[in-house]
Amino acid sequence: MKKEWKKNAIVYIVLIPILIHFVIFQVYPFLLSFYLTFMDWKVIGDAEFVGLKHWKYLFSDTLAWKAIWNTVKFSLYYIIPTMALGLILALIINSGVRGAKFFKGVFFLPVVTSFVIIAGIWGWLFRGSEEGMINYIIGFVGIEPQLFLSDSSQALAVLAGLSVFKVAGSTMIYYFAGLQSIDRQLYEAARIDGASPIKIFWNVTFPLLKPIHFYVAITTTIGSFQIFDSAYLLTGGGPNYATTTIVYYLYSQGFTSLNLSYAAVLSYVLFFIILIISLVQRRYLGKESNHY
Amino acid sequence: MKKVISYIALTVLGFCFLMPFIIMVLGSLKDVEYAQLDPLFWIPDEPTLKNYKYILSDGLFLRWIWNSVVITIIPVLSQMLFCAILGYIFAKKHFIGREFIFWVFMGVIMIPQQLLIIPKYIMFSDFGWINTYWALIVPEIWGIMGVFLVRQFLQGIPNDLEEAAYIDGANDLQVFFKIILPLSIPVVATVGTFSFISNWNDLFQPLIYLTQETMFPVTLGLASILGKEGNFGIEMAGSAVSFIPTFLIFLFFQRFFTEGIQMSGLK
Repeated sequence: MKKEWKKNAIVYIVLIPILIHFVIFQVYPFLLSFYLTFMDWKVIGDAEFVGLKHWKYLFSDTLAWKAIWNTVKFSLYYIIPTMALGLILALIINSGVRGAKFFKGVFFLPVVTSFVIIAGIWGWLFRGSEEGMINYIIGFVGIEPQLFLSDSSQALAVLAGLSVFKVAGSTMIYYFAGLQSIDRQLYEAARIDGASPIKIFWNVTFPLLKPIHFYVAITTTIGSFQIFDSAYLLTGGGPNYATTTIVYYLYSQGFTSLNLSYAAVLSYVLFFIILIISLVQRRYLGKESNHY
Repeated sequence: MKKVISYIALTVLGFCFLMPFIIMVLGSLKDVEYAQLDPLFWIPDEPTLKNYKYILSDGLFLRWIWNSVVITIIPVLSQMLFCAILGYIFAKKHFIGREFIFWVFMGVIMIPQQLLIIPKYIMFSDFGWINTYWALIVPEIWGIMGVFLVRQFLQGIPNDLEEAAYIDGANDLQVFFKIILPLSIPVVATVGTFSFISNWNDLFQPLIYLTQETMFPVTLGLASILGKEGNFGIEMAGSAVSFIPTFLIFLFFQRFFTEGIQMSGLK
């Protein structure tokens, strides 16, 4: 036992400060957050124990449920288009075209770009007046100018569009890796059997990408539940709370209304949702690896 | 035929993806109020660098850039070092509690950062860290994801080299700095590029921990002039200037982003 300590002395010298850091900045805040949900935390003075008051309030808070519903709606607008666009980009890049490397970079560029920059441009493209570029373009096909971000039935979809644009490049990378790992002989065999390219895609490529579809679906779902930046930058949660997502509501409860305890409850709601999604992933991916 | 479709799709999609960046650059060269903006895709009649001069002569904007540099560079360097060391320890060293600690680390990845922000805000208020760099630097000096990436990478490398070095009488430090670190350069670069992008682009944490304009990083500063300025050209010039570091990192380290994404994903 003593020998083990001595042999690994250097490991413990590194590990102990890191573990202390880990406890201070990850474990302790996680527990403190849970404790906070049972307290009334005032900026000045002592915290007061209030039991389940904030948790009970959650169930009667229609705005919280609207925020959850908005986030689910956002996911619906966002997940499938991101996956489809990512797959299309990967298929094009993988088809042996010249300049594929350059375009791979182009498609990935938004992934590394700040939301602030893209939102600045997006806000201009989707201006809700006739001077907006998208309104100008749709004017050609005879569509009336739309209000976009100021219309409560459209704003969330416009924000989802921004996220699709921003994230599709990383989805492309996963699909690209998946496409490259497919055995070429399978395509050869299908071609010899006289299958058309579309048939090959639906019967060979698409099913073989199954683990990737699943992984990408999970990660984009988790990402969509954490969406905040675009709502903060472009709509401020409006119009009429149409773009108030869970994280935006958490932010405005905690840091605009200074209702930190209730914001902690909301952050636990987010945590439970993400936990469930992650557990589904673990379970499914575990099964998947048994099969293959 | 298939090729033709591919080329058409490539051109159309490539244009769509580049368009925001083209708008940013062209817009930054235009001196125009929001209200006067022309919806046409436009080339500025009289390109001007006025907006850049305005942005760069504004001490506040330069200060924002500097703040971003400070809160990005320090975490990037320390993440590369600490994640390399920790990744090595978890991949190659056998010590009591290794599996347990790593299992806890992986569990914590599932906690959304938004959950930690409220208790951290309270903690940092107590520490006196609000409106300081500390709040944005100290928690970011190492990261679980980076440790995971380095560990994955080193697990795929045979132990022979290390063992040979130990037989030759090398100590742990020598083995790490002379053998493991040089071997890990690609994955350590990946950790660094990811860390750069996430710190440079972060909006949420600065928004919470900083209220003084002089402490803002460039993301938050830009967000504060978005719309308020009323001048599209100035917004776009600000965006373009803040985009340059990201773009340069992207150009030089593009390979590491894609490798990192693949490594972090399907294993």
